[in-house]
Amino acid sequence: MGEGIKWSPYLEKMREQMDQLKLSEIKEWSGHDLTTAREFKTAQVQGGFKAFRAEKIEKIGIGSFCSNKEIHHGFCTIIPDEDYDLPMFMSQWEEGVKEIRFLVDIMPTVDSLIDEEYRKRYLESVQPLWEKYASLPGICPEGSDVIRSLCSIIYTAAKVPIDKEGMRLAALAPHTEYLKSYLNFLKEAYPIKDDTKRKEVKRKRGVIRNVLRTRFFGETVNDSVSEDLEGNLQEQMVTILF
Amino acid sequence: MARLGWNEMVDFSKVILDDYKLFEGIELVPLETYEGMDTKPALAFKSPMASGFYKPYLIKGSDKIEKITIGELHYMGRAKYCALNMTAADDYDLPIFACEFDETAPRVGVTTDFMPTVDIAAHGDYLEKYYSPIAGLWRKYRTIPGLTKDGRCLVQRRYGPWPWARETLSPFSLDGRVEEKEDREKVMEAVFSYARVWLDLLKTAEPINDPEYKQEMLKRKKTMQKYYRDLDPGGEVMKKIFGEGKHHLFVSLVF
Repeated sequence: MGEGIKWSPYLEKMREQMDQLKLSEIKEWSGHDLTTAREFKTAQVQGGFKAFRAEKIEKIGIGSFCSNKEIHHGFCTIIPDEDYDLPMFMSQWEEGVKEIRFLVDIMPTVDSLIDEEYRKRYLESVQPLWEKYASLPGICPEGSDVIRSLCSIIYTAAKVPIDKEGMRLAALAPHTEYLKSYLNFLKEAYPIKDDTKRKEVKRKRGVIRNVLRTRFFGETVNDSVSEDLEGNLQEQMVTILF
Repeated sequence: MARLGWNEMVDFSKVILDDYKLFEGIELVPLETYEGMDTKPALAFKSPMASGFYKPYLIKGSDKIEKITIGELHYMGRAKYCALNMTAADDYDLPIFACEFDETAPRVGVTTDFMPTVDIAAHGDYLEKYYSPIAGLWRKYRTIPGLTKDGRCLVQRRYGPWPWARETLSPFSLDGRVEEKEDREKVMEAVFSYARVWLDLLKTAEPINDPEYKQEMLKRKKTMQKYYRDLDPGGEVMKKIFGEGKHHLFVSLVF
């Protein structure tokens, strides 16, 4: 399974950032036992997913798996507590032998056209990274219309051709850098005071999560890989991530 | 890289109106006043540095339109700033059709889009209703050289310096800088194709029934219009050439 290919250290690099937080593992979620997804190995795939709680964060989902189709998948999401207007963090990684396809974003939980202060705080502050990674080979819009419609003005997506090994780490950089920015937001986040804003955040968070739960894997993960996720593995991943 | 002479540049309004016959079967009637302003000064204007027109219309017999504006501003025989805007009346949540087509000898800077009048991420049905008809067109045209360059698709990058402007764009905007003559013509085909779909959507559009949704939609629509009218990067030059009053009229007709 991917023997001979040195996959990128996606999980390790993302965990390194996350370890700044005081994490506590979530073992059960809405009646679902999440511990069975910690580590799995079937004839087709092997990997592991975990969910965590942290201050101001309802759930962090992180994990990766490799399939015998020589694809390495990585995912990392952060869903803030609903009392905070913090955006959601989302990183998707699909690494093949010759190409890495990815999406990383900080998804707004309000209408960031209307809410200028929110836009400046959470999106425009990340704009230098968005500009920096525009020069990455293979930069392109996210291919799924549904997922792209949830994305912010500073999302970065690409299909990076791997013509030299250094490109794997170059493609990983947007994920760790966006994550660092997100983690910095946590320090300054305070509970929402305004009822109208709280209502807006609650509604939009609900819509985004519902779309991600029902559409994300179908829209972004190759059907044949999806079929390889035996039993309720895919359902477990969805529960952990979204 | 092609450098086109003035006479080789795209005759924007002629291509839209006469070649593609965008409004065939629709009777446009002049919009004589807009937001309390007499539109006559916009119909033809000339100064030592610039000349052109912004012609606003309604559709005869339809209450679904706020304005349809087609315009060109020719600057010192060097640049053409062209626009096509179609905005539905306040009872309808149709996206705003917007096209900015700025042509100089070396290139065309273009942005064309259905600007959403609600937050798409919060209203999934809006995506299905208004964008599924252009999803295929977006995929077809975003590969035009200049929108995609050296293997990088730079769509949604032209408004890079202006986050507020990127916020107004949909996930289906076509934007970029196009150089070759045939690619400039291809861009016009894309503009026409988007505009045609918008007019088809207008035909079947139903007024909004939900007052809360309407309020939300209007807030976003008016915010977008205010942003463009107040912050459009070309605004300062327009003010210098034509003065505050005419600038306000022109920019209000275009956005």
